Formats: sequence, C-alpha cells, structure tokens
Amino acid sequence: MGEVVVAAGTVVVLGALLIIPLFLIVNLLPWKPLPIGGWERLGVLLGGSLKAAVCALLVAVPLGIATAVFNAHFCAPRLRGWIKPSLEILEAIPTVVLGLIAVATLAPWLKLNIATLLATLVVVPALLLGAGMIFGHRLRRHQGWLPIGLLPVVLAIVALVVAVASQRSEVSIVPASPWNAVLIGLALGLAAVPLVFSIAADALMRIPAAHTQAALALGATRWQALTSIVLPAAASGLVAAIVLGASRCIGETMIVLMASGNTPLLGIDPLTGLRTISAELALGLPEAEPSSDVYRMLLLATLALFGLTFVLNLLAERVRASLRRTSTPGMYAA
Amino acid sequence: METLLSSLPDIPTAIALESGTSAAVEIALDVRALSLWYGKRRVLEDVSFGVPARKITALVGPSGSGKSSLLRCVNRLNDEIAECRVEGQVLIGGADAYANDTVVHELRRRVGMVFQRPNPFPLTVYENVAYGLRLLGMKHRRELDEHIESALRSASLWDEVAARLDESALTLSLGQQQRLVIARALAVGPEILLMDEPASALDPAATLRFEELLHRLAERYTVLLVTHNMQQAARVSAFTAFLHEGRLIEFGETDALFTNPRERQTEDYITGRYG
Amino acid sequence: MRHGAAGDAGTWLIAGAASICLAVMLMVLLVLLSAGLAPFWPASLVELQLRDGRSVLGERVATSDDTLILRTSERERAGGAYMRIADRDIAAQTRADDAFVIALADGRRLFGRGDASAAAVMAREVASNAIVEETLRPNAMGTPTRIAVFFRHLGRFLGTPSVASASVGGALPALVGTVTLVLLMSLIVMPFGVATAVYLHERSGAAARLVRSAIANLAGVPSIVYGVLGLGLFVHGFGASIDRALYADRLPVPTFGSGGLLWAALTLALLTLPVVVVSVEEGLARIPASLRAGSLALGATRSETMWRLLLPAARPALLTGLILAIARAAGAVAPLMLVGVVKLAPALPIDGEFPYLHPSRQFMHLGFAVYDAALASPDAMRGIPRAFACALLLVGVVIALNLTAIVLRHRLRERYRALES
Repeated sequence: MGEVVVAAGTVVVLGALLIIPLFLIVNLLPWKPLPIGGWERLGVLLGGSLKAAVCALLVAVPLGIATAVFNAHFCAPRLRGWIKPSLEILEAIPTVVLGLIAVATLAPWLKLNIATLLATLVVVPALLLGAGMIFGHRLRRHQGWLPIGLLPVVLAIVALVVAVASQRSEVSIVPASPWNAVLIGLALGLAAVPLVFSIAADALMRIPAAHTQAALALGATRWQALTSIVLPAAASGLVAAIVLGASRCIGETMIVLMASGNTPLLGIDPLTGLRTISAELALGLPEAEPSSDVYRMLLLATLALFGLTFVLNLLAERVRASLRRTSTPGMYAA
Repeated sequence: METLLSSLPDIPTAIALESGTSAAVEIALDVRALSLWYGKRRVLEDVSFGVPARKITALVGPSGSGKSSLLRCVNRLNDEIAECRVEGQVLIGGADAYANDTVVHELRRRVGMVFQRPNPFPLTVYENVAYGLRLLGMKHRRELDEHIESALRSASLWDEVAARLDESALTLSLGQQQRLVIARALAVGPEILLMDEPASALDPAATLRFEELLHRLAERYTVLLVTHNMQQAARVSAFTAFLHEGRLIEFGETDALFTNPRERQTEDYITGRYG
Repeated sequence: MRHGAAGDAGTWLIAGAASICLAVMLMVLLVLLSAGLAPFWPASLVELQLRDGRSVLGERVATSDDTLILRTSERERAGGAYMRIADRDIAAQTRADDAFVIALADGRRLFGRGDASAAAVMAREVASNAIVEETLRPNAMGTPTRIAVFFRHLGRFLGTPSVASASVGGALPALVGTVTLVLLMSLIVMPFGVATAVYLHERSGAAARLVRSAIANLAGVPSIVYGVLGLGLFVHGFGASIDRALYADRLPVPTFGSGGLLWAALTLALLTLPVVVVSVEEGLARIPASLRAGSLALGATRSETMWRLLLPAARPALLTGLILAIARAAGAVAPLMLVGVVKLAPALPIDGEFPYLHPSRQFMHLGFAVYDAALASPDAMRGIPRAFACALLLVGVVIALNLTAIVLRHRLRERYRALES
C-alpha cells in the first residue's frame, strides 16, 4: 500500500512538470497564425520582461553578491546568525506588499527626485571606499561587525538625502511616467536580493576555509585571499546566483503589475514604463474567451515565459550540481 | 632593564645538555609568558620557552593541550578569530610579533606554516608556489621560475613535478601535495617553519620520505613541529616541549626528555599512561 | 598606498552593501507598521479659516510641500468631498474640542461642531436611513482614550466583514477566504508532497535524480504560469466537463466551469509542492541512519520502518513544510487572479448552509485585497490606507509562520544532534 502511495506521489510531481508545456502545446495545435501585430506585441512583452529583469538585476546582483561575500568571508560568526534570517524575512514578504510600497511610498518620491537618487548612487560607494581607506586599518580587528557599525551611517545618509531633496523645489530629471523602469528596478531588485544572496552564500560557504588560512599564513590580507582564491573558486556558483535571479525577475508578476504602468512600450530609456509577459497574462486572461485568438496568443506568451525560465533554471541547476560534486558544504564554512 | 629581565620567567637561553657540557644555543623563536584566551576560555597559560635555531623542536601533548593554538600565535593567525586575546611576547629575531608596530603580513612571510591536511590552492602546481611570490610583487617570469624551482627542490619535489607544473595541484598524491605546500611556504624565504601534525594524513612510506625531508630542512630552517606521534618526535626532533592543558610542563633535549623526564606528568604521557 | 588599503576600501564597500540590505529591510517593516496602523488611530479634526473667508472642518488625509488634502463631510457618497487647499490660502488653524465625526455604516464620514444633540441632528438630516456606526470627538480625547479607540478600530477591522467602500472596512471575509483556501490546499498538497519525499529518501539512481531535478525546476516556474494552467486545464478543462456532466441544468451559468475555491486550492497545491517535498526530505535525511538500521534489524520491512518510525520521527519537518507552504500560498496573488479570487464575494466559501464548504464559490483573499485596494479602489485616499492595513496583517501572518518554521527546524536539528552524539 505504501509503495502505491509513494509511486502516485512521484507520478504527480513528474506529471506536473510535464503537464505545463504539454497543456500549452496541445492547446496551441493545430497552429493558426496569430492575428496581425501579434508577433510584434509578443516581442514588446518579451522586451518588457527582459528590461524589467535587467533593471532589477542591476540592483539585486551587487547588493546580493556583496552581502553574500561579506557574510561568508569577513562576517563575525555571531552576526552571521542575524544576516541570513533578516534576508529570509525579506524573502517572506509577499511581492504584492513590496509592490504596494513601491506604488504608494516610493513612486511619489522618485517622480521628483531621480537626480537625487543618482547622486546617492555615486556618493555612497565613494564615501564607503574613502572611509575604508582612511579608517579601515585601525578598525581591522572589528571589521566583522562593520555592517552594524555602518547601519546608523547608512540611515543617516538616507535621511539626509530625503531632507535635502525635499528642500529643492525644481526637478532636474523628469521621468516620462511615474511608473518607470527605475522604480521597477528598485522594487523588483529588492525582492530578488534574498534569492541571489542565498545561492551566492551557499557557493561561497563551500570553499574550504583551509584555503583562506593558507593564504593568510603566506602573508596575504583577507581581501587578497578573497580575490585571488575564494572568488575564482566560487565563480560558477555566483553565476548561477545571477541566472536564478534573472529567472525570478522575469517570472515576477505582482510588482510589475503594480509599478510598471503596464504600458506596452519598448525602449532603452529607463524612465518610461513597460509591460511584461506576466502582467499581460494577469490582465488579459480573465477576460479572454477560450479558443479565441487573444486566448491563443496569451497561451503562446505563457509558453515563451515558461520556456525562458525553464532554460535559465536548468542552466543554473547544472552549474550548482557540478559545484556540489566538487566540494562538500558546511564543515568548511569560513 | 635588569629588573625587567629578572621579572621574566626563567628562559632557557643557555640550555644545559645532559652530557654535562653547556653551550649557548642561538634562539630563533622566544616565547615569553604567552597566554591565550578564546573568549572566556583560557587556552594557553604562561608558556615560556625558546626554540633553538636550525633545529627541529617537537611540541607534544594530549589533545586539547593548546599545541595548535600555540603555533597559530606565532604567526598571529589567531588574530582572525574573533574574541581572541593574547598576553605575553613572541620574539622572532629579537622583535616581538605582538608589538604595536609589527607588520603582520611581513611577520607571516618570515614564519611559514604547514597545516595538518595538505591544502594546495585550486590552482596549478606552478601558481601554488608562485602565490606567495606574487604577493610580494614578483612579476617577471624568469625570476618566478628560479624561485619556484629552488623552493620545489628544497621540498624534494622538483623531480616529480618538473614536467607537470601547469597541471592542477589537486591531481598530485597526498604526499606530493604535502611537499607542495611546504615548497609554497619555502618560496617566500622564511626563517621559521611551523608544522601542525604534517604527516598525520600520510601513509607510512610517505611519512618516512617526509621525515627525511624534515632533516634536510632543519639544515637551513628552524622547525617547530606539533605531533601526536611520540616515535616520530623521538626520531626527528632535537628538542621537545611537552604541553598539558595549556601549560608548558617540560622542555629539553629530546633524548633526555624521553629517557629521563623531570616531571611526573611528562613521564606518564610518554609511557602512555594517559593521553 | 598603504599595504592593504585597497583591501580595506573593498571590505568597507561590501560591508556597506550588507548594511544597506539590513537598512532596507528595517525601513520596509517600518513603513508597513506606520502606514498599516495609522488608519486606525483616531486623528484630530482641524478647522481651517481660509483667506477668502470660508471656514472648513475635516480631517487631513494627505500633505505635500505646499498643499494639503482635507476630507470634509461626505453628504452624498464616500470619497466625494475632498478639498485641495494650498498652504498659502490658510489664514488660521484650530482644533476645537467640540468637533465631532460621525462614521456611518455605509462608509461615509460627517464632520460638525456642537454637542451630542447637534450630532444627532446632523445625522438625521444628512442620512435619514443610514445607520450610525460611531460618533467620536477626537480633539477632546486623551491618549488613553485614543489608545482604546485604536484597539476598537483594529478589532473591527479583524473581526467584521468589509463594506463596499468603507474607510478601512473589515478584513474578515478576506481572512476567511484565505484561511479556507489554504486549508483546502494543505489537504491536497501534504499527501503528495510527503509521498514524493519518501520516494526520494528511499531511492537513489537515475529516476530519483530525475524527480529531484523536476522538483527544482517546478520551484522555479513563475507563479503566474501555474495560474494559466489552473485557468486553462482546471477551470476551462475539468470544470467545464464537470458542469456538462453534473450541472448541465444550470448551464450556461458555470458552477465549476469558472474560477472558484477548488481550482484555486489545486493550483496552489501544485505551486507549493516543491516546498513541502524539500522540507520533508530534509527532515528525513536528518534522522540518524542508526535508527533505521535498528528497525530493520528487528525485522521490520522498509515500508513499516518508514510509516511507523521515520515519518513520525520527522513530524517537525512535515510541520515545517506545511507552514512554509501556507506562507507561500498566503502571498501568491498572481495565480489567484486567474482562478477565482474576487474583489467582493457575494458569499463566503464556508458557511452554515449545507454542505458547509462550497468549493465552487469564488472567494476573497488578503493578498488580492492589497492589490485591489491599492490600484482599483474608487477612492484612492481610502484605498491606500486599506491596502497598507491588509498588507500589514498579511505580512504579520506570513512572518509569524516563517518564524515558527525556523524555530521548529532549529528544534529538529537540536533533537537529532543529541541523538547522534
């Protein structure tokens, strides 16, 4: 009896994975050509999905990978126990809520303050680099707790930026629409940080601490050990993190539905809106008549979305599996 | 100055040999009143002894007596552990490793370390040995080649890998890997070699070859060797320090310590009554 | 440059990145808390004397640099009496103690000044047949009273059904819908998830590797694609067939041929299947091999060992998987938009009428309520606060679930660490 149940379960799982493309393909055959402009629209939607993903990755990859590197290589062990759960909480927040914050709180501010945002993006890293060069030497013993020490500084900078921005009355960069790719980059990127972080952290923790110890014994600094040994060894895992992050961003619906304006435009300008495949599905399918032209086009779009994310996931899993084979986790964590 | 010297614990700067003659032996590494805490736990308590230059000194004792921690104090690798506190001095060539103005990465160049399990980098044989040299800024291929060949020869490995320099270091056997990491440490020109149970992962044949290498290394370098293997300590070392629960119980010439130990605890450990 | 200076700079940069992540998380929670709780706090009423001589009484709903938006008495409909006033037009501002606000049951709010009888008169005059929900004098309230009223509003939000365009109308139907959906989904997903995890634990080899790969890929499929499958296969496929077979007399009004609780639960079960499988398998893997060897040595079959010993021992892992699946389902809005969630359901999917559970009915969902209130509300000034209130509730539930799962997982590890040593 037990065996039957077990078999049933696995059949369901395998079936579920196959059923999605099968269902889509079956319903698209026999093939009838798409209505006029159908392929153009699909192109615009695909472009929108990719544009949203790229903007989001520009935010998620630096933050996620940098945090994972710090967590694995420099972080004080006690602090490590706080960073991971914090990011897990961020991951647990439903994307509809992040979309709400983007729309209600971030968008109005961003509409008037794009220039301030750009300035912050330049000033903050420069400040950090400079401060590191000046004070880093003296604080090296405590660098494991640096994120906590920098937290009030970061919050102060944010408060300062918001205050300065509200004083200035004229707006230098005016976006074409308050719902634009920059807004999406921030909101969607934030939603993807926990995923990029966890895949990258997993890859980095698999690099044996012995390598770092050996490098240190030869006179390398912790940073040199990181760049010359650890990062090259974990490179494939980091790439997997980026690819999985991309897949997640391409498939995300709620944030783009709420914050992209859903305007079917295609362009390089980050200050315009866009429309993704997922948004089109969410908006178009409830009204579409089954077996109508629109319905078939939406099914085709679904197939494209599924195919793209499937290929990306497969790629990333291959990379991670090979990384798992050539190293063992846990005990070697730095 | 006199009062300062007299307040320090008795340091065997002149070691009386059992045969009766006494000769002043040059001390390469002078540990003075070294105490180490990991958080609240005291790992080393007031350890003092002098490691003679260009000899092999063995560090023995039961598990948990602080031998490895002592090694890590010498090249300040313990600095990497949070909540680690050190008191006392570690004098290398007269300069205290824990002085405020000590440059740690230079210290680590002068003191090489070989770990328990061979841990070559996931790079080629060549790049493994070149790693330390590149850290020092060496760039020219010719110069690197010279230093690398010299280091590999000193580690008795050149003949076996000369044709395989561009292969991954992970393809070497365990014994070869251990000699590779020695070559890696030798390449930067240290004075002192710290070895933490370096032969424990090797089979008996490889261990024998390793001990031969140790004798050769002792002609040029000062070696401080942690080992669990009493027979190995007896075979290889000229001096032995016995550590127990963080305290140095006895230090002296190996022959004397093994045949006629002064302390009861030393005798118990050597004869296998515990540990 | 000093040795290691570049390294220090780099370390500070990435430490800054970690710091930014922590800061952003804190800010998100802060925004949620403040924007989510603010609507329940009884705000003061202001009376503005304008430069052109007019005098308006109401509550502030939004302020920007140089203008503010004031909600005045809503005599006709809720959301129909906003005034946009420039700061420079305001001559004076007062908060009179006798100002009162009347909240009507249909969501409208009326403002006035005077004593209790004046309030009663206004209520009767403006809305003769409307029911008064409460009358407050916020300006005269001390802090303890305000706190009490705050909790009363909160209780009303959590415990009563929503009104069509109510201020921050109740979330009860959305809560009930979410809970019913999640319960039904759990009943479907747990058996299959556990079965698959058992299979993966017992077998290794090409087939198991294939299944494991399938699980990993299923986890990566976008949630909206599950919605499309749900709509196309379940609703239009199975649902239409069921209608033709069993409910032909009701056609063309669909029973199971349109979105509803059953199809939504099935869709979410597919979505959360990988979560359950991974968690249960992890739990089974942590059980020391000695336990299993002991059972087999006593003569138990593999099947008996699994069902009688290992699965019960992995109970915390099963629970963790269930909790994580529920947390995921509570937040997955996109697929539900295609398979049956609605803004306002005519009836609850679970009620006192036989058969008590109505799997063909449409339902409300807390996550969808957030989306709908934010984007599709006729009154934006009410919609956004309502969205935040629902969002805070949703996030509170999800975080509580995740924390419980973390604690459980920790206890499972501790338990087996003791067993192993």
